[in-house]
Amino acid sequence: MSDPLKPSSMDTSLKADNRKRRRARADSRFKWYGIIALGLAMAFLTFFFIDIIGKGLPAFQQAEILVHVEYSEAVKSNYNKAVPKKYRKLISRAWLRSIPMMLEGHPDMIGTSENLWVLADYRVDQFLKGHEGHRLKKKYQQLVAQLETDGKVHLAFNTGFFSSGDSKLPENAGILASAIGSVLVLLLTMLFAVPVGVMTAIYLEEFAPDNHFTRLIEVNINNLAAIPSILYGLLGLAIFINFMGVPRSSALAGGLTLALMTLPIIIIATRAALRAVPDSIREAAYGLGASSLQTVWHHVLPLAIPGILTGSIIGLAQAMGETAPLLIVGMMAYIPDAPHSILEATTVLPAQVYTWSAESIRAFEERTAAGIMVLLAVLLSLNAVAVKLRNRSQQTW
Amino acid sequence: MSTDTNNKLTIRDLKLWYDDFEALHGVDLDIPSGKVTAFIGPSGCGKSTFLRCLNRMNDRIPGCRVQGDVLLEGNDIYAPDVDVVQLRTHIGMVFQKPNPFPKSIYENIAYAPRIHGMMQDGPDMDALVETALKKASIWDEVKDKLKQPGTALSGGQQQRLCIARTIAIQPDVILMDEPCSALDPIATAKIEELMDELKQEYTIVIVTHNMQQAARASDFTAYFYLGDLIEYGKTTDIFTAPKNQRTEDYITGRFG
Ligand SMILES: Nc1ncnc2c1ncn2[C@@H]1O[C@H](COP(=O)(O)OP(=O)(O)OP(=O)(O)O)[C@@H](O)[C@H]1O
Ligand SMILES: [Mg+2]
Repeated sequence: MSDPLKPSSMDTSLKADNRKRRRARADSRFKWYGIIALGLAMAFLTFFFIDIIGKGLPAFQQAEILVHVEYSEAVKSNYNKAVPKKYRKLISRAWLRSIPMMLEGHPDMIGTSENLWVLADYRVDQFLKGHEGHRLKKKYQQLVAQLETDGKVHLAFNTGFFSSGDSKLPENAGILASAIGSVLVLLLTMLFAVPVGVMTAIYLEEFAPDNHFTRLIEVNINNLAAIPSILYGLLGLAIFINFMGVPRSSALAGGLTLALMTLPIIIIATRAALRAVPDSIREAAYGLGASSLQTVWHHVLPLAIPGILTGSIIGLAQAMGETAPLLIVGMMAYIPDAPHSILEATTVLPAQVYTWSAESIRAFEERTAAGIMVLLAVLLSLNAVAVKLRNRSQQTW
Repeated sequence: MSTDTNNKLTIRDLKLWYDDFEALHGVDLDIPSGKVTAFIGPSGCGKSTFLRCLNRMNDRIPGCRVQGDVLLEGNDIYAPDVDVVQLRTHIGMVFQKPNPFPKSIYENIAYAPRIHGMMQDGPDMDALVETALKKASIWDEVKDKLKQPGTALSGGQQQRLCIARTIAIQPDVILMDEPCSALDPIATAKIEELMDELKQEYTIVIVTHNMQQAARASDFTAYFYLGDLIEYGKTTDIFTAPKNQRTEDYITGRFG
């Protein structure tokens, strides 16, 4: 028997034999699978972006009409009298309804009149944008076409989308209330989940004895990160609303519920970051007589901060896009006004998008897409911040 | 029990278990003050384990149990009322792999004196940093870049920085676990020179796999084998006239 590991003198040829050629083919096939998979992923992503942006972009413009407005005494009781009868149906009722209130505030304006660009009805808006299902009556279509040639109707940048809350009238519906709600909820989530999560991870990783009990906790935390988020909604409902008496639909209830959901993600990310700190650093600190607390606080934690930040921001970004648990704690409500406290009824961006997507009026469709665009922009900038922070804290020592 | 005042550390019947595995089977050893003592022996014989007993670094290892006495100038370092933090300011340690903190060179030195309240930041601290770096013969190489990270130095410089860092807490004893294993001959020679200078002030214990190094740099040598101390004596005696056959085999085996 010859030694199978003995180098064979025949095998020194550098020419490709069959086996080597097959291996090279397998290599290139594998490379092509990778490229195809990447291509598919890019195609889906591109399709998604084109679709959302194509649908959402028009929402950033809104139709306005130039009308002659008369502020007579009669307008106070019947706002319809403020504008010529012919145009009444073309103008947003949301704007018309606001006139009496405005006159209350400025009584000196009564008796005056002015030419004003005012918010148009959503049917006019949709008709101008050439959308199917604009539902503008035939006779008004001609009128709008006439106004357009006269330059008395146009599409202007939609500031209202960012400065007003939800509304039953599509032309008046905006994201302000839900954006403020999102910020409040996210701040609360961060306030609860980050300190508790980081502390828990530090304890488990650096101080806890390695026994059955801590191992049981560890397994459970890993499982918690994987359970469906709607269960956290039920948990939040049971603990915070029913037991602790936090008001339903409030930012506090939502923030606490999302904190519950984000906690395991932050714990896992923090533990991974701590574990990545080489043990030689701990030995160095202990060898110099640092206590456990000093070792963690002065040496281990600063090195783990980039990982902790990244994990936390990813967890928070996930919480920001979450809808299911918030549905359970009542945040899917119709909220036209921005909340003034964390105990008031609040809605959040993804919930707002969901509510709009369920509306029957077609004009809400573009607002749904625009809401998604805003949400995406916020999430992407959040990720950019994560990357920035991580890079910066990696450099400073 | 020895009352010889010239002995810095007195170890009596030291046994150590990692869970069920007995890594040290009752070691008796006196480490003389102001000398370099080398531990030699084949891999896995318990040199590092024994060294780490001397400043209780093994406390960190779960399942590790120690029995017996380790006396620092007559005081049992395993007594219940001993503060480990305090102990480690008396017995410093330099590790096999250079492990400077990823902070500035200055900060590497100043850290321990600051946390032990030996000194506030200021001119005194600057002087202390300078002295420590000078004693570790690295001052000239780093004096212009004290603000740069210690991790940006070469391996040999990093190891001398680690030695300077240990000197800065003004210990009585410095333990070194294969401090030159990651270094080239020139850096190694520097560290050996350094040990020779440092032993005027400090008691040094070094683990090494390098027989020449043990012969050159140490005054006393202890040979370990499978968790037992086989032979201990003056380095010249051990290397010229070992009493034990296994010691002789080991030493001559290395010399070829
Ligand atoms: N943390 C640990 N847990 C369990 N067993 C250990 C541990 N550390 C060391 N041992 C065992 O104890 C014995 C002595 O190890 P030690 O590290 O002290 O050897 P050493 O003499 O330093 O070897 P080397 O020269 O290779 O560094 C070995 O059998 C090793 O497997
Ligand atoms: Mg060792």
